[in-house]
Amino acid sequence: MSSERLAVTGVGLCTPLGPDPVAAIDGGGTAVRSRADLAGLPDDRSAEVERIDLRPWLKRRKDKKLMARAAQLALAAAGSAIGDWPGDRAHLGLFLGVGREAGDEGESEAALLVAHRRGRMDVACVAGPCRDLYPPLLPLKTLPNMALAHISIHLDVCGENGAWAGSAGAGMTALRAGAWAVLEGRCPAALVGAADSLANGGAIRDRFRIGGAPPPPVGEAGVMLLVEPEAVALARSAQIHGWLRLPPLSTVGRRPAHHAALGDCGAADGALAVALAILRREASAVVSAADPGHPALPVEISVDPGPSCYTPARHGENA
Amino acid sequence: MSRRVVVTGYGMVTPLGVGVARTWEGVVAGRSGVGPVRRFDASALPVTFAAEAPDPGGDEGADLKLRLASAAIREALEMSGPIEGPRTGVCVGSEIGRPDLRMVAERLGTREVPTPEELGAMDPAAPTRLAADLAGATGPSSTISTACTSSSQAVGEGLLKIRRGDVDAMLVGGVDVLVDPLMITGFAKLGALSERNEDPAAASRPFDLGRDGFVLGEGAGFLVIEAEQTAADRGSTVLAELSGFGCSCNAYRITDSPPDGRGAYQSMSLALADAGLPPEAIGYINAHGTSTPMNDPSEATGIQRAFGDHPVPVSSTKSMMGHLVAACGAVEAILSVLAIREGVLPPTINLDHPDPRCDLQHVRNTAQAARIDHAMTNAFGFGGSNGSLVFSRRT
Repeated sequence: MSSERLAVTGVGLCTPLGPDPVAAIDGGGTAVRSRADLAGLPDDRSAEVERIDLRPWLKRRKDKKLMARAAQLALAAAGSAIGDWPGDRAHLGLFLGVGREAGDEGESEAALLVAHRRGRMDVACVAGPCRDLYPPLLPLKTLPNMALAHISIHLDVCGENGAWAGSAGAGMTALRAGAWAVLEGRCPAALVGAADSLANGGAIRDRFRIGGAPPPPVGEAGVMLLVEPEAVALARSAQIHGWLRLPPLSTVGRRPAHHAALGDCGAADGALAVALAILRREASAVVSAADPGHPALPVEISVDPGPSCYTPARHGENA
Repeated sequence: MSRRVVVTGYGMVTPLGVGVARTWEGVVAGRSGVGPVRRFDASALPVTFAAEAPDPGGDEGADLKLRLASAAIREALEMSGPIEGPRTGVCVGSEIGRPDLRMVAERLGTREVPTPEELGAMDPAAPTRLAADLAGATGPSSTISTACTSSSQAVGEGLLKIRRGDVDAMLVGGVDVLVDPLMITGFAKLGALSERNEDPAAASRPFDLGRDGFVLGEGAGFLVIEAEQTAADRGSTVLAELSGFGCSCNAYRITDSPPDGRGAYQSMSLALADAGLPPEAIGYINAHGTSTPMNDPSEATGIQRAFGDHPVPVSSTKSMMGHLVAACGAVEAILSVLAIREGVLPPTINLDHPDPRCDLQHVRNTAQAARIDHAMTNAFGFGGSNGSLVFSRRT
């Protein structure tokens, strides 16, 4: 544990209820909808970000086509969180919770359909028609760490980093690792958070096909916080959204409670609960989240009295 | 003052054999573990060879990945002795979490329902849970997924967690199994694989002018690391100190490495600083050295920038084992510890005509005897993640 606190000087959110979802959630709103393209599956509901506008941050617009949903959500959140941070991005840390590898958006379906004969994979078919149809860049789109890669590339972030795969605990691991890295001086500041999409059509179809559908409703979100040492933030008169502290691992906090409004956002769930507590301007809160079968990881936030300095970026929302 | 961290156990399964001793014997002999694919008929594929790991058997069901991990973990735990309890954590590098494409393809045709074991094996955290179960570790556990850097970062995370006092011991490592018709097809279509079908043993040739891509491999490597005091209290045999970790992002391109080697340089420099060592202290670098046209000169440039006028012996053991992807960082970390302990530097085989753009002090084709006190190992991943670890002799 550490008794020191870090300043949260940037918040970036990309959720199905927009970049500032607190009022809608607290008012009983929900982004969970039935989807026509999922008709016929055992469950046709999801909470999805309608539009993710990455134009403010993309170096090459066509690169968006190389990004899975989670990578797009991550970049949108990171771009918002980093804002006009004046430090040296060559050493800015980047710590991200990511989900399991996303299903593709149907790009591989034609290739996979011709890869089997009489219900079994046939290597001759793979080598022939499947090979011709298989999208060569698909693995690079769907690998979980590509979210980290795209943030690094488009925002020029080069410092200490990590991508933790899993569900809600992965994002909390990333938050804690990034906070530690800043507290220890391994990087001057860090982008910490998570992004995941359980709601894209390809992922849902794949999971139903293989029988491993997550419990509905499924959601998606990108959540990033920019954290830096308290003294540094105060010295540069940064806008401070709140404070982040690492309580002992044994500390029990409250669990994410936004599923009815935003769906299960997978690896982003824990980080999203932390960010929502900051945006609600809670004086103090401990949030915990865990992957199934693993110990829960806590993060403590606090917010000073006064008005919010959060200015939501208009990069994606359903409203 | 942060706690010192030592290695007290390791285990591996690689294309050179089951167990650390067999792999080390093969590495020192300069033996290639690359050959024609045996697990299925690959003759129609563009690449017909790979570095397949031997199946170690065991009771982990149908999934080879879990059997490889289990064998490596059990070997590491046998060496370290018991480490169970809430003060022990687990961190595993594992990059596969996608729906198994073979299974998806078959389900498209048959609508069969997979078994729970098949579903569980596709979870990227499955090896992490296995590791925690086998070690009896109930402390923090996590799965790192940064492609080829995954297990190097897993080792690094273990180091940091122990230093911070979150835990006293960690089981860290990685596992990967990618020798599969669809993976070979996909990577070949990307142009990333060597297509030297006529001579597989010569296909992985890092830093050589004739290199044409990497060789897909598979395996597992795990280490037990613990606080120095914990190891002393347990009466453990200390194999080496894990003295430094650094990592960086390239911020360059998804598949290419920057020609100026900046990410590699930053990662190595941070690891040296973390270990509190000057460049000249390092006696050996186990390079990432994938044998791709772009990685090797980029890494060589990074090494030149980080080590300046202090030439250090460098080799890539991928020349013998192929690219173990998420497992390579941990396996090569163990080989770096062995280089210190055994006084032998593994070679880069197939290095017949060194690329002038990779102007390094190569350990070329034959292992070298050398007493060294500190070794570095690099792992760099698709997407531009870099990790470097430093191990040091403990007397």
